[in-house]
Amino acid sequence: MKKQYVLFSIIAMMLLVLAACGGNNNEESQNNTDGSNTTGDDQGEINLYTGRHYETDQALYDQFTDETGIKVNVIKGKDDELIARLEREGKASKADLLITADAGRLYRAKTQELLQPVESDTLTNNIPEKYRDPENEWFGLTKRARIIAYHKERVNPDDIQSYEDLTKDAFQDKVLIRSSSNIYNQSLLASLIALNGEPDAKTWAEGVVDNMARDPKGGDRDQAIAVAAGEGDVAVMNTYYLGKMLNAEDEEQVKAAEQLGVIFPNQDSTGTHVNISGIGLTTSSPNKDNAILFMEFLTKEQAQEQFAKANYEYPVNPNVAVADLLESWGSFKEQDLNLSKLGEFNNEAIMIMNEIGWK
Amino acid sequence: MKLNRQFSRLLNGWMILSIGIVLLILFPNISILINFFTQETSNWDHIKTHILPLLIQNTSIIMIFTGFFTIMIGTSLAWLVSAYDFPFKRFFQWGLILPLAIPPYIAAYTYNGMLNYTGVIQTGLRNQFNIQVDQRYFDIMTLPGSIFIFTLFLYPYVYMITRAFLANQSAALIENAKMLGSNSFEIFFRVVMPISRGAIVGGVSLVLLEVLNDYGVVQYFGIPTFSTAIFQTWFGMGDLNAAIKLSATLMFIVFFILIVEKFLRGRKRYSYTAARVRPLTPIRLTGWRAWSVFAYAGIIFALAFLIPVIQLVDWMVLTYDKMIDPVFLSLIFNSLFVALAGAAMIVIFAVIVANFARTQQNWLSKASTRTIILGYSIPGAVIAVGIITVFIQIDELLFGIYEAIGLDPTLILSTSLFMLISAFVIRFLAVGFNAIESGFDKTGIKFSEASRTLGMSMTKTFFKVDVHLIKGAIFSGFILSFIEIMKELPLTLILRPFNFDTLSTKAFQYASDEQIHEASLPSIIIIVLSGIAIYFFHHVVEKEPD
Repeated sequence: MKKQYVLFSIIAMMLLVLAACGGNNNEESQNNTDGSNTTGDDQGEINLYTGRHYETDQALYDQFTDETGIKVNVIKGKDDELIARLEREGKASKADLLITADAGRLYRAKTQELLQPVESDTLTNNIPEKYRDPENEWFGLTKRARIIAYHKERVNPDDIQSYEDLTKDAFQDKVLIRSSSNIYNQSLLASLIALNGEPDAKTWAEGVVDNMARDPKGGDRDQAIAVAAGEGDVAVMNTYYLGKMLNAEDEEQVKAAEQLGVIFPNQDSTGTHVNISGIGLTTSSPNKDNAILFMEFLTKEQAQEQFAKANYEYPVNPNVAVADLLESWGSFKEQDLNLSKLGEFNNEAIMIMNEIGWK
Repeated sequence: MKLNRQFSRLLNGWMILSIGIVLLILFPNISILINFFTQETSNWDHIKTHILPLLIQNTSIIMIFTGFFTIMIGTSLAWLVSAYDFPFKRFFQWGLILPLAIPPYIAAYTYNGMLNYTGVIQTGLRNQFNIQVDQRYFDIMTLPGSIFIFTLFLYPYVYMITRAFLANQSAALIENAKMLGSNSFEIFFRVVMPISRGAIVGGVSLVLLEVLNDYGVVQYFGIPTFSTAIFQTWFGMGDLNAAIKLSATLMFIVFFILIVEKFLRGRKRYSYTAARVRPLTPIRLTGWRAWSVFAYAGIIFALAFLIPVIQLVDWMVLTYDKMIDPVFLSLIFNSLFVALAGAAMIVIFAVIVANFARTQQNWLSKASTRTIILGYSIPGAVIAVGIITVFIQIDELLFGIYEAIGLDPTLILSTSLFMLISAFVIRFLAVGFNAIESGFDKTGIKFSEASRTLGMSMTKTFFKVDVHLIKGAIFSGFILSFIEIMKELPLTLILRPFNFDTLSTKAFQYASDEQIHEASLPSIIIIVLSGIAIYFFHHVVEKEPD
């Protein structure tokens, strides 16, 4: 009796799977033929690989589809994995666009010849020069500043005015920063190599490691929480994480974030480190015109406003106002650097971090 | 002449299918391994001097301690549940497998979310009693912390396999030991541990392979291990060659583990000759003994399942209203679909190769079984690159055919679910295979040989005899593969088609954006679905020797 039951359930399950397989294949081939029919029409579609995972981005894609009738197909992944996939797919890739959350990654996609230049007045007008590739192969969409958060009661903000101050003896065992595998830290160090030269950057990194309150671990939010918890006094983090903490549903995150003050480092010298998330058109793009429309759409004021408000990022379009919270932190001087340098010096940055033992 | 006959004896459908399956696994790996023989890069020198020693140290420490603790916890629980009756035992029998339903990286995020400064424990102490604690005692993001997570969420592998063994095999030996006057501790250490050696080693080798392959936990905790280093050299330095050299180093460790496993299992084959084996009769415990066993099982269950799940439910209540929509339902369907399809293919393939391997003991069958483990031992992201390469080549070969049947000559296979499901098969075939191989090991070859002697063909014997003997094992293989695929992350992330999300990609997306509260709903559903699979598995497989 039981034996039959087991056997029956196995067979039933296999049949179910087979049926589902068959069903899905049909559906898929239908989709394919649909796709090839509609590309010739005025609507069409674009295929997007993106390293940004925010819900608010999906809302923007939907808005684009509403306005233009162009469907946005999305694959989300990590920046590096998406680039690896593009590289493997080569000329046959169906992807039109690549969005990453770091300029260095776009630079790498460019050097691997995965991107092509786009000539568009809309893009060049909307995006300041330093946030796009010199050959127009990629364009910034949003900015994020890597700031220093300090404990309002335990730290006098006058003592911590620059990234270099993190290496001062006063902050022995007080500095919180995440691991060297984190791209934001790699890009921060790359920017310091570009601005101050490798020897200085290495000395700085050694100083940071000496002053670390603990072995690096966790994400940016964890660094901020560790400051609130008293494990250290200062944390290096991206602006939008602090914004999200202050607006979190979890009351305790809000309480922790409220204990922190924000410093935009190096205002009297080289400026605060800024990175972007940005977009590039792939070499193989099968829907080039639609893809460029989409790029332009994302840099226009309406979309930029939404980026800024929903995610506490800074818009790249200078005509768009920042979110109220960012406004309250004031404006600041940025590093004077074309962001492709972040990619150029990425490898050196990683090597330095490994050599000096930044875990 | 002799050689010829030997070959024609080998050559049958089973062999051809097995070779096909082995090639399917081999191709993507070869396309990666070819890079191993290229010249050393300057990055490799850098890695060798600056990070390799630390990687080996960390990885070894985690493996040794996780291995030790999972053996102790898994075997002791398996023994208590098999040999004694105590309160809620019937529940614990399968409840103790449930931690397997929780992906370790979600457990890591959850535990840190509970223990850190803003977590429920510290806020409780702070707001109710005004106690500020030293952060060091609440810090789980450490090397010992990762061992804690791995132990709690992977011990069920040891527990499950050992218990299945003890329940069916050990009655006579254990009862003899009892008659000779051994007490229960002596029985455990001097009889139970040695006779279940094969089962324990099988379980713990699965645990160690999972540990080696983990990326989520160690990356979040900031512990440099092989898997984090492979990602960093490949992606961070853009040096695939150096990353592959690291993978190859890792593979040597894996092969070492596998050889040790074979060696430790020894040449002895534990198969029973009687058609019915007498199961172990449990002893009823009373009084403090009963309750202390209950407390032990209860604490493990609470730490490894109940507490993290309660925390996740609590977070889910905060966020579910903005999460649930029709799109979310499609995630559940997608997850179920790929997991069912993948698991079904895995068991079919595993049965074919396992049956080939046990009926024909030669170098070819041995090589086949070893190759199958390959997919399980290489980090998911590295396999993914191999798979994409191979599928794109297949697509390019097929361009002519696509055109002939009126399709566009574009990437069709490599942008479809077919690639993702094949990837799961390559990655997890070992899981299904291990279960089925041990099923074959247990039944031995005597019944099949009897059937062959009586004139049935190998294929007929398989369907009329073998399938009935190992259907429990087939089912375990199916369920284990199902759970693995539900939890799987890197392959699904990289290889999925456009607009295709699963529960685990969604959970990871939120968790990696540091939105752990939003990650709770998809996590809970993964846990519930895998939990149901485990329950089903237990109740069907348990009652099988009837």
